[in-house]
Amino acid sequence: MPAEPIIRFDSVTKSFGALAAVDGISFAAVAGETIALLGPSGCGKTTTLRLIAGFEDPDRGTIEIAGESMIGKRPYERNVGLLFQHYALFPHMTVAENIAYGLRHRHWPKAEIATRTTEMLRLVQLDGFGPRRPQQLSGGQQQRVALARVLATKPRLVLLDEPLSALDAKLREELRLELKQILAATGSTTIVVTHDQDEAMGLADRIIVMNRGRIEQQGAPAEIYAKPASRFVASFMGRSNWLDGTAKATHRGPFANVVLDNGLILNIANPGLADDTPVSLGIRPERITLGQPADEDRVTGANQFGGQILGVTDMGAETHYRVTSPAGPLTVVRPNSGEHRFTAGEPVRLGFCAEDCLVFPHPAAPR
Amino acid sequence: MDSKRRPNPLFLPAAGLFLLLFVLPMAGLVVESLRTYVPGRIGSAEGAPFTAANYAELVKPSFAVFFFQTLRLSLAAALVGVFCALPLAHWTARKLSPRWRTLAIGFFVTLMFLSVLVRTYALELTFGAVGPLGPALRAIGISTNSRGYIEILVAAGLLHYIIPMSTLTLLATFQNVDPRLTDAAQVLGAPAWKAHLTITLPLCIRGILAAFLFGFTFSISAFVIPMILGKGRVLFISNLIYTRFSEIANYPSGAAISVVLFVLAMLLVYVMTHLVNKRWAQ
Amino acid sequence: MTPRRADDIIRFLCKLMNCAIVLFLLTPIIVTTLMAFDARDYLGPLPPPALSFRWFTAFFSDSYFLKGLAISLKLAACSVAISLTAGIATAYATDQTTFRGKDALIAFFLSPLVVPPVVTGFALLLFLSKIGVIDGFARLLCGHIIITIPYTIRATLAALSGIDRSYTEAALILGATKRRAFWDVTFPLARTGIISGAIFAFAISMDDVAVSIMLTDAKTYTLPIALISSMRANFDLSIAAASVMLMAMTVLLIVILEKLIGLNRAIGQGVFR
Repeated sequence: MPAEPIIRFDSVTKSFGALAAVDGISFAAVAGETIALLGPSGCGKTTTLRLIAGFEDPDRGTIEIAGESMIGKRPYERNVGLLFQHYALFPHMTVAENIAYGLRHRHWPKAEIATRTTEMLRLVQLDGFGPRRPQQLSGGQQQRVALARVLATKPRLVLLDEPLSALDAKLREELRLELKQILAATGSTTIVVTHDQDEAMGLADRIIVMNRGRIEQQGAPAEIYAKPASRFVASFMGRSNWLDGTAKATHRGPFANVVLDNGLILNIANPGLADDTPVSLGIRPERITLGQPADEDRVTGANQFGGQILGVTDMGAETHYRVTSPAGPLTVVRPNSGEHRFTAGEPVRLGFCAEDCLVFPHPAAPR
Repeated sequence: MDSKRRPNPLFLPAAGLFLLLFVLPMAGLVVESLRTYVPGRIGSAEGAPFTAANYAELVKPSFAVFFFQTLRLSLAAALVGVFCALPLAHWTARKLSPRWRTLAIGFFVTLMFLSVLVRTYALELTFGAVGPLGPALRAIGISTNSRGYIEILVAAGLLHYIIPMSTLTLLATFQNVDPRLTDAAQVLGAPAWKAHLTITLPLCIRGILAAFLFGFTFSISAFVIPMILGKGRVLFISNLIYTRFSEIANYPSGAAISVVLFVLAMLLVYVMTHLVNKRWAQ
Repeated sequence: MTPRRADDIIRFLCKLMNCAIVLFLLTPIIVTTLMAFDARDYLGPLPPPALSFRWFTAFFSDSYFLKGLAISLKLAACSVAISLTAGIATAYATDQTTFRGKDALIAFFLSPLVVPPVVTGFALLLFLSKIGVIDGFARLLCGHIIITIPYTIRATLAALSGIDRSYTEAALILGATKRRAFWDVTFPLARTGIISGAIFAFAISMDDVAVSIMLTDAKTYTLPIALISSMRANFDLSIAAASVMLMAMTVLLIVILEKLIGLNRAIGQGVFR
């Protein structure tokens, strides 16, 4: 039996003037699940969040939390928690007063508020920080106080608005793990809004990729990365080498061809498009294998050709190569795990599988 | 939320005060300015016939001279004020250490806040006929009673406010101009003064214009400064309104002059907000 | 002349001009301060041969001035209290909401700032006489409310709009109603801005001449009116003493504003230092 969804969006639309910020989107989250709304700025993810929180009301569609319609409900009647991008800790209150704020408005007895506040401070590992002011804390500590304030009221749903964007890169990774742990420990149903794919992949069980107010694709992080549903998703999640061409021989079973604009023929998995459709073909840089020209064992895949190393950038854990090839210049990423490292000017052999070619109708062509 | 779309009724107390103390009086002013004046009577008679005579008489030389005088001295004060404020603001923005800059800003703000009475009294005491500098001025052949000197004194009164005000306006403007631009101009071969003339000034033109218009608007509605320093010989439009009321109780005429001054001030404010904000907003 | 020389000359001229301007701005203040402590009972050349507090004593033993001071203080307190209340109510009503004509309404509430005060005063004089308000204090109060209220509205609105919307939203989502969120979070954060607006309004009321002179009568007059009429009548140095005290008050006010909101912020910090 499928679990009762904690939150359900059904063809929700919200426009500002002529612009539809959210355009008929539907999704649901079950208890304990963490969902990421991922997309570039202006894709509608923040509006979606504000609709859930109750700062905006939808023009059309229904929003339900635990089976109860939220239309017309004020933010303080919804019992959802929201972690603000810059935390919005009240600067004129102490850390403890901040955490207790929501409890006071739920008319908890004083003693219980004190107990709960201490408990929350322990949960985020800030025991004894209660009497301090938010301004006296580091960015990471402020974030944890904000999280404690959100979780103190045991909200039915936790919303995170770009939770890690205000922190620097090193701290971000640390806090991402901690955040995930705390959310799991409290069993919170969570919706994360972010434009950062690492944040989405690191926190979420399921990712919803949004673009121009619509949902482009939803699914598990690995699935979205490996099988993007559109060229937009493919280019927003990770990097790819993009080549333009035309689909050919699409009626002949599991495989087909793409004839690149320069005449080179590549083997691809059959994309189910009509012959002669202009297409964009993407190959992930880490899916291309490299070897010395004679090295036919190491280089795998249905597409193989010779090339030459143009430039090498050593990134520590991996090496980025720029390689000339008959298909045009390609970026190739190889892990630094004892493989032979090439130098600029060296002739090489490249290869990639037909299944690794991500083929989409060319964005300029009619679908 | 639906409540975002309609105004909260709590703005009504203020709206009521404005209606009673601002809108109705201003409307009454316009009506009064069209009433026929009966000499010897305080205020127009109830239901006195309407006339445009109160406005017509303003173009007569005996009235026009006050308007001309106000505009001439205000224009001069605003121009000189901005001219003086330019190097002062640049010096404060660029040449002073943070500590001294805060002090300098404090000095200008204090001067701006200074009671207009204190300002005029201090100027009269220092540069007036009976003041301690009087003998010194007479010794170098300046008559403190000449019309020219009184005009300069009135302008000095206006400048004593305009200079600090313009300096603060331009200070904010200069602080938004990247100093590396003039550095670049100098590296490219322009002398410092030419670099400022061709880079800093064009970039600051909005601030300069704003400071000028602000000074001009302040000057044309000045009241206390010409009243004290003008000694009854240099009168501004504001003073004329007051004498219409206090000396001959010709309310309709005072109202007509008020309407003209009001329109003049509004025109300047309109120019200030639209010209300065839109034309030069890139 | 080489460009270098021209540069040096212009730089020197600018420095000279700056010195002259600062001197012009400062001299009247120094002269007035010196004269206020002058022990002589006539206006003589500077510097005074002996110093005394006699003019300060004279000011405080003059019932004409004292009555003006008392009325001024009472008037400023009453008008600021009224315009602050109306200002906060207005700001609360318009804060974080959008409705048609909101900008126009705010522009309207700030419009007395740009009307020449003499015009405001004269219009009120006509209106109050017509509707029969003859009590001197009531007339002055009306005038002072309309000249102070734009300052309180402007300061309160600016203080509120300077507060990140997410603070209020955080309070709302934690369970506070809109009204509670305002009193718990928004108002405390805006308090310094609102207080500085009140200080502004108080100073404006204490300093006003152009509106008050229209509405004053023989028995009800403010300190500035008292000072201005005796200034025109005779050249009494107790006015210099009063001026020194008013200057001291101004400096005090600036120091309070500096401590409260910081002068740099008050006049707007630029991008480049």
